Amino acid sequence: MKRKILSLIGPMVLIAGLLEALAAGAASFNTGNTAPRSVFLKLPADIPQPSLALSILQDASGNWVLHIDTKAFQFTDICISASEAVPVGHAHVILDGVKIGSAFSPIMHIGVLPPGQHRVSVVLRGQDHRALIGQNGLINAALVVYVV
Amino acid sequence: MSLFPVLERTSRVALIAGGFCTLANPTRAHEAWLLTPAEINALAAEPIPYIFTSYLVLGAAALIGCTATAAGLLAEEKLQSYEAIIAPKLECLAQTIGPTFLRWTLSLMLVLAGTGGLPRHGTALWVEPTLLVPDMQLSLVPDWTWLAQIQIALALFLALGFFTRVIGLAVIVLVAVGLGVFDAQFIAYAPHFVAPALILVLTGAGAWSLDQWFDPDGRLAPPVVTHQPIWRSAQILVGAGFVYLAVVYKLTQPTLLIAILQHGNLPTFGLPYPVIALIMTGVEIICGALLVVGRLVRPVSVVIIGAITFLAVTLGETPLFHANLYGSMLIFAMAGLRWPAQTTSPSNSQEAVA
Repeated sequence: MKRKILSLIGPMVLIAGLLEALAAGAASFNTGNTAPRSVFLKLPADIPQPSLALSILQDASGNWVLHIDTKAFQFTDICISASEAVPVGHAHVILDGVKIGSAFSPIMHIGVLPPGQHRVSVVLRGQDHRALIGQNGLINAALVVYVV
Repeated sequence: MSLFPVLERTSRVALIAGGFCTLANPTRAHEAWLLTPAEINALAAEPIPYIFTSYLVLGAAALIGCTATAAGLLAEEKLQSYEAIIAPKLECLAQTIGPTFLRWTLSLMLVLAGTGGLPRHGTALWVEPTLLVPDMQLSLVPDWTWLAQIQIALALFLALGFFTRVIGLAVIVLVAVGLGVFDAQFIAYAPHFVAPALILVLTGAGAWSLDQWFDPDGRLAPPVVTHQPIWRSAQILVGAGFVYLAVVYKLTQPTLLIAILQHGNLPTFGLPYPVIALIMTGVEIICGALLVVGRLVRPVSVVIIGAITFLAVTLGETPLFHANLYGSMLIFAMAGLRWPAQTTSPSNSQEAVA
């Protein structure tokens, strides 16, 4: 019986200590943190906050071309595994809820769109593909295009 | 009827079934990348649930976890009496089929990573080689793209079971290089690749290998005195890896886990998703901690195999993302806490499985 209790105490002290320490640490850490850092890259408040506006035009051949007009953001085609919290990167272009590609410059050729209403949205991403978060949340914009 | 042929046949069926599973859905990616753009938008503004910010709730959850762990430890002796019935057969399998399954699963991960067959979500197949896992794209570190060829070569050696112990050491070096190249990001993956490599250094190739022909006496085997320390090191690494992953990706990023569970429509049995997320996190931490302290090793291994299989099926992921873990957990489930003394010599292990 004594051996049984001793064999229980050692691991239990370790595991109980670990669980209680994690409970205290996580409660403190999670308070004030929201967007998960694996997916989002929060920009510091003391830098100019990026913004973007979209326009879309149809060229002579019938293809649609998206223009991404950004402020305080620098496009680059260089991707890295872990980027700093700086407004440099690329944009993810989403057509009708489905990502159709990444824009590494302010102009992206979307191609021919079938007739009907389409929603095009763009989200700015860092060099490590995490979505940039400014002081007002996700940095994104959207427009609706009607194709006849 | 002897139990051994049944176990052996079951293992063969499992190997074949595992092969089919690995081919079932190879284009899915690491959990965070499962989310749709709309789900990412929603996630950006999602507040952390109260149960993950309240010390009162987390403390109570920790207490419940401690109670469950104590109950498990108290039941261990009873469980061991059941384990003892099949332990000799399992220990024999741990020295024959166990290493074979481990090197094949590790080999699959290496060859797919090296050829771009296990890409990050949104990346075409066979285009972007990675280092061991989908998130570590080698194109992001242009000076290190040659690691793809190294991985393919290591995979070939592992698949054939040729110089397995040396290749195990090479995989450990590869992980060390990964840590240097990808920095802190790679820490999450490192223990779960070092551990199977360490196990292979200890066990050798097992059944169906060239090593059985070229090195039947196991001349490269580590000294007997190091067997148990190596075995326990592997268990501690796997366990610590689970604790780290649970803390870094689940406990401190709960909204991401909840979004993934919602995306996969995980059955909740009437419980709210945050509660499910907290239970999953707790189970992962406790299972990891038990492996670290070396208690309930077989039951924990079975629980982890069941959990990762359930999640892979529910989320529609390929089991390949966790192939290294399947190999490690299976051999832990076979051998338990202690690496068994050699019951079959390397030269006759082929007969043992034939």
